Amino acid sequence: MLLSYLPILILVLLAAGFALATLFLSSALGPRRPSKDKLSTYECGIDPVGSARERFSVKFYLVAMLFIIFDIEIVFLYPWAVILNSLGLFGLVEMFFFLGILLIGLLYVWKKGGLEWTT
Amino acid sequence: MPEPAFFVVMLAKIAVVFGLMLLSVAYLTWLERKVISDFQVRLGPMRVGPHGLLQPIADGIKLMFKEDIIPEAADRAIYVLAPTLALIPAFISFAVIPFGDRVRLFGQSIDMVISDVNVGLLYLFGVASLGVYGIVLGGWASNNKYALLGGLRSAAQMISYELSMGLSVVGVLMLSESLSLVRIVGAQSKAWFILLQPIGFLIFLICAIAETNRAPFDLPEAETELVAGFHVEYSSMKFAMYFMAEYANMITVAALATTLFLGGWRGPFLPPVVWFLAKLYLVIFLFIWIRATLPRFRYDQLMRFGWKVLLPLALANIVITAAFVALR
Amino acid sequence: MTQAFNMADLSTALPEVVLSLVAMVILMLDFIVPKGRRDWLGYLSVLGVLLTLMVLCRQWGATQSAFSGQYLIDPFALFFKILFLASGGLIILMSIGYLRGEGADSGEFYALILFATLGMMLMASAVDLLILYIGLETMSICIYVLAGFLKRERRSNEAALKYLLMGGFSSAIILYGIVMLYGLTGATGLKEIASTLTADTLSNPALILAMVMLAAGFGFKIAAVPFHMYIPDVYEGAPTPITALLAAASEIAGLVILLRVFLVAIPGLQDRWALLFYVLSLLTMTVGNVVAIAQSNIKRMLAYSSIAHIGYLLIGVVAGRELGISATLLYTVVYALMTLGAFAMVILLCVGEVKGERIDDFAGLAQRSPMAAAAMLILLLSLAGVPPTAGFVGKLYLFGAAIERGYILLALIAVVNSAISLFYYMKVAVAMYMRDLPPAGLALSPSRPLRVVLFVTVVGTLAIGIYPGPFLDLAKSSIAGLW
Repeated sequence: MLLSYLPILILVLLAAGFALATLFLSSALGPRRPSKDKLSTYECGIDPVGSARERFSVKFYLVAMLFIIFDIEIVFLYPWAVILNSLGLFGLVEMFFFLGILLIGLLYVWKKGGLEWTT
Repeated sequence: MPEPAFFVVMLAKIAVVFGLMLLSVAYLTWLERKVISDFQVRLGPMRVGPHGLLQPIADGIKLMFKEDIIPEAADRAIYVLAPTLALIPAFISFAVIPFGDRVRLFGQSIDMVISDVNVGLLYLFGVASLGVYGIVLGGWASNNKYALLGGLRSAAQMISYELSMGLSVVGVLMLSESLSLVRIVGAQSKAWFILLQPIGFLIFLICAIAETNRAPFDLPEAETELVAGFHVEYSSMKFAMYFMAEYANMITVAALATTLFLGGWRGPFLPPVVWFLAKLYLVIFLFIWIRATLPRFRYDQLMRFGWKVLLPLALANIVITAAFVALR
Repeated sequence: MTQAFNMADLSTALPEVVLSLVAMVILMLDFIVPKGRRDWLGYLSVLGVLLTLMVLCRQWGATQSAFSGQYLIDPFALFFKILFLASGGLIILMSIGYLRGEGADSGEFYALILFATLGMMLMASAVDLLILYIGLETMSICIYVLAGFLKRERRSNEAALKYLLMGGFSSAIILYGIVMLYGLTGATGLKEIASTLTADTLSNPALILAMVMLAAGFGFKIAAVPFHMYIPDVYEGAPTPITALLAAASEIAGLVILLRVFLVAIPGLQDRWALLFYVLSLLTMTVGNVVAIAQSNIKRMLAYSSIAHIGYLLIGVVAGRELGISATLLYTVVYALMTLGAFAMVILLCVGEVKGERIDDFAGLAQRSPMAAAAMLILLLSLAGVPPTAGFVGKLYLFGAAIERGYILLALIAVVNSAISLFYYMKVAVAMYMRDLPPAGLALSPSRPLRVVLFVTVVGTLAIGIYPGPFLDLAKSSIAGLW
């Protein structure tokens, strides 16, 4: 069982090694001639105004929260989908209730305007 | 404890797949430029090598020798780490995709897959979704307004479309009764799932394009408004790593579409690996074609489409498929 | 544990299913019913609660375990489920007029109360630490939102944030306790935990630590001193019906899981946790009563008084056995009734600019509305524990149980505390009867549902006070088979 993850582990190490080697090589091979302008934040050539560490739209948080709810729904759906054939009608009806409840959730968010980006 | 031959075969497979992946990523950039230029009735790269065939290598060498700039205002550690975080998941998610039938070689029976994990599909989605960290952290660590916006947009877009993507394959799972991609290909011996799950395939394809941040969903990079989005501050090989990750992801989702819906390596006459590659590149060609044809969405349109069209459609697809499977 | 999920399991949870369906329907109807007419959603919610009660009563006297032994319906659970549903219904009734007054009428409010009630019902039936935790979170998360429901009101925002932070903190402590219990016993079922604990493991310091963590976590939820710091601010800032929900239902729900966990899972440690709760009870009632004297805001005063009452309730837990636990059960009903009634009075006084929250607002109430003043007097007497009200009977049994089990000092301090409490309760009574009506006092116009709440709570308080027999029998029969 666990053996099937061994190749993946090796692959992870390989990919990580490749990434690190690339980083190392480029820093070793590339020139280094820093200047004040070069190291300043890019803002279309103008001097940067303030920092980028500012508050951003709350909508992004909303999307993240909705994502978690529905992603967990999907995690529940996968095992159910795999054994649906042997669950039969009861499994079907039971899951439809689950889906129905989540659908109500989606409708609710929709109606509340949680999915709108233009205000 | 398995015999030594097992390890030799395993390492060989990993080496070959990883090498091919790197090569494909490099030449995909060439392919894309060529195909796009054909669409636009121009030649594309022609100078380096015949028909510009050595262009990707020249690009690589050039990027390698470029100055690696880390902006003063950036958060150095995360700034350096972020491209790595994008690259690694992109290169390891391919591991569970079978690219050929089981063959007998030197008295060994060899599966044409790096590892047949029994929850392969979950593994793939799990690993692929890690890629968003690279993007959002890169955008944040740059301490640049464009980069931050691009990173956030990208994160929101990727997680939104990940939902529909995850739901679109539930129908496939019901039909194949397994999460192992090898078994899913096995279940398509009678009919490819694209025939049984056309809506699922369509949703999957759209989400795949959005997940890889490609046109018409390339808002995170949107040159005209965000200059280059999350990687605006990146240069040299760090920039190249984002690029490689993007193309590697593109190959992986195309391979996944092939495996889940197009019968994987199955096909008559030709060897399985050839069939697999043919289908894979067909899907990739489709991606490039779409890029050459469609204009970019507006962000509100993009989110509305994902949440209000694709998500309900994917749910409806599940309900209908489930009813068929359970009442059969 | 490998038993499959089936229809029979679902039918044991039918009341919960009904309640959640009602709540969802309310949530959706919120979009259809126009603003200004959402009172109807409140009445509909009350109907839903009644429907759930009807379904629930079919489980009368039954004992059945479901969902692989994680869920249990027994008289103990039923007793508290009825209490929670009744409280939830009364709170919705008193919200209807309140929300109209605040201009915030909304189906969401009722739906969230229903969901919170659902969480409490889950807590009452849970015999597995995880189900218990899920119930607790279902309830808490709803109340976090409800506490901040008046979005434009700064105090409401403060209350919500404080409650969220402290609630999250205490949930984490409870989880630590659960994890340690699981680590020591390898089980999350309460019965399984009890059966795996042997004489050897009982003296394990890690087990003691788990017990202390659970006690501290539950202590936060039931607002026992020293875990009470957030309570006055939250009570003061939250919308008044939600303050009532916190005081009358949420804290009792915390007490229910406390009883279940300590009585069923770790009865072997009884002499240790009895000592722990002895100290907690002592601190809780003393601090609650002494600090309440200094309050001029009635919601804050009731907050400290509810802390004090939690102290009394813990006496029953310390005393233990049939006598102590049944006295605790009886007192939860008494406490819920009089607390709900007192907060309904605060809402009643909320006319125009007057929020009814200062004790001064009660001045001259006897002239304004003799009926309202009389009702408040009965509730105050009951809170103080003066015969012939329910508060007296409840305390009698609680203190009696303590004396019976030899905790004479505790009972004595409790009696002294009751005497102290009489002082600040009577401050309100004095304001109502002895002081003159301020000239600005508008006429009271209680909404009909609020009158129902006041009627039910006052009559209930008197009924238990005058004729406690059947209620005591019910409390006694409800704890049969708990161990």
